[in-house]
Amino acid sequence: MHSTLVRVQNVFGFFTTVAFCTALLTALSVLLIPQHPRASIELRNVQVVKGRPHYYSPKKEEYAHIKFDLDADFTSLFNWNTKQIFVWVTATYPSSKTSSSAPPSQAIIWDTIINSRSQSHPFNPLQLIKSATTPTKKSSKAKSPTKKKDPELEPGIIRLKNSKPKYQITDISGILSERTNVTLEVGWNVQPWVGALTWTLPEGMEIGRWKGVKGGKSKAFDMPPLKGKTASSETVVASGGTPKAAEASAVI
Amino acid sequence: MADEILQQAQELLEGQIDFQGQKTTELISTIILATSGLLAFIIGFAQQNIYYTLWVGLGGAAIAFLVVVPPYPFYNRSPERWLPKRSGMAGSGIEIDGKRIN
Repeated sequence: MHSTLVRVQNVFGFFTTVAFCTALLTALSVLLIPQHPRASIELRNVQVVKGRPHYYSPKKEEYAHIKFDLDADFTSLFNWNTKQIFVWVTATYPSSKTSSSAPPSQAIIWDTIINSRSQSHPFNPLQLIKSATTPTKKSSKAKSPTKKKDPELEPGIIRLKNSKPKYQITDISGILSERTNVTLEVGWNVQPWVGALTWTLPEGMEIGRWKGVKGGKSKAFDMPPLKGKTASSETVVASGGTPKAAEASAVI
Repeated sequence: MADEILQQAQELLEGQIDFQGQKTTELISTIILATSGLLAFIIGFAQQNIYYTLWVGLGGAAIAFLVVVPPYPFYNRSPERWLPKRSGMAGSGIEIDGKRIN
């Protein structure tokens, strides 16, 4: 600590240690906050059509177009250390009718990113200083109703009614019609500011104060037979673009 | 003259402090950084806002730098009293222009 340079080095070195310890505490504090996510997903409508992966493809495959209802409450996944969560819906079905040893096939039909409030409204002390130094100019404006704050809604509530799938799914065999025992499942991935990523906790599972998802699985259904075998009803997935979620505003 | 100015500039840049000052800066920097880290976590957790943690931690580090790094005069208040120079006792015996170099 005898000269300026040594003092800079020492202070910065210890600062990195302190920063790491604070980050570690932050990452571990998440375990103290209870999580009890709940989701209910139901099939609305399913169609299987023939199509091509892109316009010039000679290969024809079957595509499933699954419409669904999703009602989920993931608010408890948002704690002070959550940056965003990624939510998805998968269709799960047995890979083959004959052998049950093969793992089931899964394909994502819909997904979304939900930002936490800290992600969408970052706190910056420089803005506080800025607004504190210029209060006289804006005092008259502040009274006007133009400065309206968004209602402080807790992020993580999803309500989708009869939502179109974001992705039309196909199978590696190219055949999806008349598949049996298909279920829709909701999954998520919590991305924290600091710490470990965490994934879907299945129903019934419990880790400390974290409970597994309540529901989150649809009743099993079967894929319908192929619809409309004429050429006019063919769909081209790539050129048609991916269909968007039914109501973007439904995701809060 | 130029040597003197150069020496002053060097001293200012090096910012040397005495032994007592070094002990004090060590203690102060440790206390400020550790408490600001702990405070950052507590404030962030209490307010449920991780940005408070970030800014309190960074602010504490900035304060630590400001308090410890510059060579303030109060870090130089107890200069070491070295033994007086014992001239002529153990000279090197080298003479330049009739002067003895110790």
